[in-house]
Amino acid sequence: MIETFSNMIEACGSKAEVMRGSLVYAVLSAIAQGMAYALLFPLFAALAAGSDEAWWYLGGIVVLVLLDGLFRLGESHGGWRVYIEVSDETRTNLGEQLKRMPLEQLAKRQTGDLNSVLTGNVQDVVSIAGGLFGIVINTMVAPTVTIIATFFIDWRLAIAMLILFPMAIPVYRTIRAAGARENRISMTAHADAASHIVEYTQGLSVLRATRQVGPESQRLQASLARLREAQVAGTKLVTLPSIIMSALVQIGILAITALAISFVLADSLSMAAVLALIVIAIRFSEPLALFANMSSMFDFMEAAIDRIGELLAVPPLPQADSKVGVEGSHVVFDNVTFAYDQTDEEVLRGVSFEVPERSLTALVGSSGSGKTTITKLLTRFADPQTGSIEIGGVDVRSMTQTELMRHFSVVFQDVYLFDDSIEENIRLAKPSATHEEIIAAATAANGHEFISALPNGYATSVGEIGGALSGGERQRISIARAILKDSPIVILDEPTSALDTESEVAVQRAIDTLVRDKTVLVIAHRLSTVVAADNIIVLEEGQIVEQGSHDQLLSKNGRYADMWHAQRADRHWQITDTMPAET
Amino acid sequence: MNQMTDTNLMQDAAEEPGLWTIISPVNREIYTGMTVSLLSLVAWLGSIMLFLPISREITSATPDPERLWLLLGISFGLVALSFVCRAWSFRISHLGAFRLEQILRTELTTRLAQVPLGYVVNTGSGPLKKIVLDDVRSLHAFVADSTPLFAKTFAAPVLGIILMLILDWRLALLSLALFPIGLIGMFFAFRDYDVARKKVDQATERINGVINEYVQGMHVVRTFDDGSGSFERYRKALNGATETMREWTAQSQTGAFIARTLFAALPTVLVLLAVGIPMYLEGMIELSILMMFLLLAPTVTESIVPIVWLQQLLTNAAAAVKRIGQLRQVELIPEVSSGRAPEDASVELKNVTFRYEGREDNALTGVNITIPAGTVTALVGASGAGKSTVAQLIPRFWDVDDGALLVGGVDVREMTADQLLQSVAFVFQSPFLLSDSIKNNIRLGQPDATDEEIVAAAKAAQAHDFIMNELPDGYDSVVGERGSSLSGGQRQRITIARAILQDAPIIVLDEATAFADPDNEAKIHQALAALAQGKTLIVVAHRLSTIVDAHQIVVLDKGRVVESGTHNQLVANGGRYAKLWAHFEQAQGWGLRVAEPSSAT
Repeated sequence: MIETFSNMIEACGSKAEVMRGSLVYAVLSAIAQGMAYALLFPLFAALAAGSDEAWWYLGGIVVLVLLDGLFRLGESHGGWRVYIEVSDETRTNLGEQLKRMPLEQLAKRQTGDLNSVLTGNVQDVVSIAGGLFGIVINTMVAPTVTIIATFFIDWRLAIAMLILFPMAIPVYRTIRAAGARENRISMTAHADAASHIVEYTQGLSVLRATRQVGPESQRLQASLARLREAQVAGTKLVTLPSIIMSALVQIGILAITALAISFVLADSLSMAAVLALIVIAIRFSEPLALFANMSSMFDFMEAAIDRIGELLAVPPLPQADSKVGVEGSHVVFDNVTFAYDQTDEEVLRGVSFEVPERSLTALVGSSGSGKTTITKLLTRFADPQTGSIEIGGVDVRSMTQTELMRHFSVVFQDVYLFDDSIEENIRLAKPSATHEEIIAAATAANGHEFISALPNGYATSVGEIGGALSGGERQRISIARAILKDSPIVILDEPTSALDTESEVAVQRAIDTLVRDKTVLVIAHRLSTVVAADNIIVLEEGQIVEQGSHDQLLSKNGRYADMWHAQRADRHWQITDTMPAET
Repeated sequence: MNQMTDTNLMQDAAEEPGLWTIISPVNREIYTGMTVSLLSLVAWLGSIMLFLPISREITSATPDPERLWLLLGISFGLVALSFVCRAWSFRISHLGAFRLEQILRTELTTRLAQVPLGYVVNTGSGPLKKIVLDDVRSLHAFVADSTPLFAKTFAAPVLGIILMLILDWRLALLSLALFPIGLIGMFFAFRDYDVARKKVDQATERINGVINEYVQGMHVVRTFDDGSGSFERYRKALNGATETMREWTAQSQTGAFIARTLFAALPTVLVLLAVGIPMYLEGMIELSILMMFLLLAPTVTESIVPIVWLQQLLTNAAAAVKRIGQLRQVELIPEVSSGRAPEDASVELKNVTFRYEGREDNALTGVNITIPAGTVTALVGASGAGKSTVAQLIPRFWDVDDGALLVGGVDVREMTADQLLQSVAFVFQSPFLLSDSIKNNIRLGQPDATDEEIVAAAKAAQAHDFIMNELPDGYDSVVGERGSSLSGGQRQRITIARAILQDAPIIVLDEATAFADPDNEAKIHQALAALAQGKTLIVVAHRLSTIVDAHQIVVLDKGRVVESGTHNQLVANGGRYAKLWAHFEQAQGWGLRVAEPSSAT
């Protein structure tokens, strides 16, 4: 419990002090409340004696209630405001971490997971911390204060009350354990159901054809039934202990009352004390009984804190601080060997090659041969285990991220556009660009014409027209970005392969402009597009098997020549090849 | 107060008429849960009421121990009963809520099989999963937690007030006097609650949207700058949302503070004492009555707190109910109970007009296409021309708005879903695989196929070799498990094997445009050839070279057929297709070069 508190305070970052202050106020407020209730003992005694002293005690209670109000004001002053600032700060830190952490680590995490950390987990910590901690402190501190005060009235009763607390601890532990178990069971069952529902919706056309839908879809129905079983089992798991806990508290309080009554009958306790005790005991019983149910919230919050902490703990790739003199854009891979994090399989083995400035180098090979890994290492997606990568004579590890990225433009098959205007989407590559520069870039990327035809031209929001942009148009926007950035090295990952014919021509023209006089590294599937390359690197299982110009490689009659001939043949493949001729 | 909140709740509920309908299958559990929870409350209040005779006995001159123990015993019994009832009601309502979840999920997934397939495809499996799993799940909290809460929050104050009135009406009225004061506090606290709440919800939504975008774009953004640009966007949006939250807190804080302070136990105790002490000293009430009020009154005031939770539960449920309701309102695709089977493998579009819901322009206008059995037809055109729409209409992803679509001479609307889908196989660009064994994935095409038939289909689809040589357990390997990760091309070949096994006479093929590598591409071509053998084939073509020999090429532009014929006819026509073809040849001849051709090596 204490640990959760300190974890939470730590999670508050720079607001930890305010948070701590707020908690102190909560404790003070609980103490005032506990003392106010404790005053009921002398108050009832005075009343029973018919004495006017009762007014003094009432005055005492008034003061304590006012103090309680003040302390609460102090608590709420930090209160929600702190939580808002904390969530803002945590999200900023997480945002910075995302931009700093190695891309390899980023790629390992699913977008959905990252999303849920930044939205859900932050929300969990903040709202639970905001709503719950005051209550928890109050529930624990106020009764304790009253019990301590009871010592002055009757030490036997106070001890009886003190014994009640430790008795609840083992039950409380059981509840927490049961809660955690239930949580795991239900999470697994939900994940299973989720994947089956996704499967079902994706496969509906096939499933419909074979009537395996709705109640007849056995896999899905079985999974839904399993989910309910898990839920029911989980509920059964937690019901009993939490009921026992509540019952224990309530019955325990009744037992203490019974004990007090027996003291009265034995004439060793005043009846006024018993009346006060009944009021106090009933007052505290409900919150104490419900207290156990809050434990699942703590687990929830701790899990959230853990997930946030885990993400923040990913170390960034080591970066050099000093400015280094990068000269030109000559790229050198020297004996590079690389395996992805937590795998033994080397996806690149002793890869060495050079890309002279303003030359065109193509990477070819079957999928999984290491083409993409090479471009990823160049942009420092991760660092190789051995060997080095240099740009302009400088090791990429001794450049800052900003310096390194200044060298590249990357054009992928998939284009990511932000929900902002077309202009801002292009400007992202060079925040200081003027409107004229953006138009110039778009024009060079063969995009000015279609952008001008959009309802608001360059100011058209991508979100509003979303699907109305074709793949080729999106691609041209991304090329306009790259042209605006005007970096010396261009990396292309088969940017035209997913386009229809007409877009393809437009995008090809845009690429022609982009790559002029640049150092270009291209991943090519269709070999005909890189015939003019200065160097073609053929990869197989992480190793370079051949390299040279198209003509050189063809005359070698090796792997490249095979691929070339296979593609030439397949190019004339027709869907009608096996069909009977004209019917 | 209760009255007011009560009506508010009812209004909210009335705005979402779906809620009560949606949860009606488990009405029995809900009512039982409420009743039992009420019983628990009554037992608990009873145990408290017993303190009146107990305290009277104690304060009497000669307390009767036997009677005291008896009373305490009964009180014990009532507390125990109250807990049994509470547990019982918890269980009933939770089990009911789980049952509801399953009922709803089965209903929704059944419904998904009856709405236009296009709706399912366009909505996407992610959002649909969210509705079927997460939204249904968020109803659970409402059904399971709020029904007992309903009984308790409304019954507890009412019963409490009645009991107090019986005990001493003067003191009862006094303790009720606090209510209006608290109400005023609440009024100020929640004056603009709805408006502010909406603002905050919007801010939250915006934060979530921005985070989503930031995270999604990060992989890409990191490749063209160090992330600073998009971080700035993120930071700015975050700031804006945080500002809204700050304003909201500043606005609602004081009111909420007042309400929280007034509706706490201590102030009530204080007021009761201030009035109760002189009344007692004047001999107007006995000490036991004062004690009973100290027990009961805070229970009444504190019952306000759960009402706020209830409100929250309703708000949460409302969003989920809305989405579930939307899915339930998607119009079913009307299906005949006994349909007419298609007579052959021909397809005909007769003057078809179709518009996607919510769009202004027709996706297809007056389209006529005749496709004789056993022929190959290619649909070509720019993106957005309508070729994919034509392809989707054939397996009845949507119904046409005007005209008719005939398969084997029968209007698709006059066939049952399985009659139609057994004659038409749709091979998607993105292959769909179950996380099940390879064997079962292929068998999906024809559930009663033998193992031999499955192997034969896999062989024809060029998949047998890699299944046997590269997968750990051959045909029993489970897709996606360790060692069984498949490349895009391999997945594609398995779906083709499934289509081969399904053996539908009409194949609609959305030609995949990009394959991972040349080896795979050649194999997929062979697999497709095996699939297409002797079938009516309709291809959405991207690469024109593959369909040069098609019996018929249909060229679409802006939802209309602009020309059709064989490749040679169309090229000779010099129309739209001829232009496309010229473009295609130009694209094929394109090669990258960093310098002007003259200076290239």
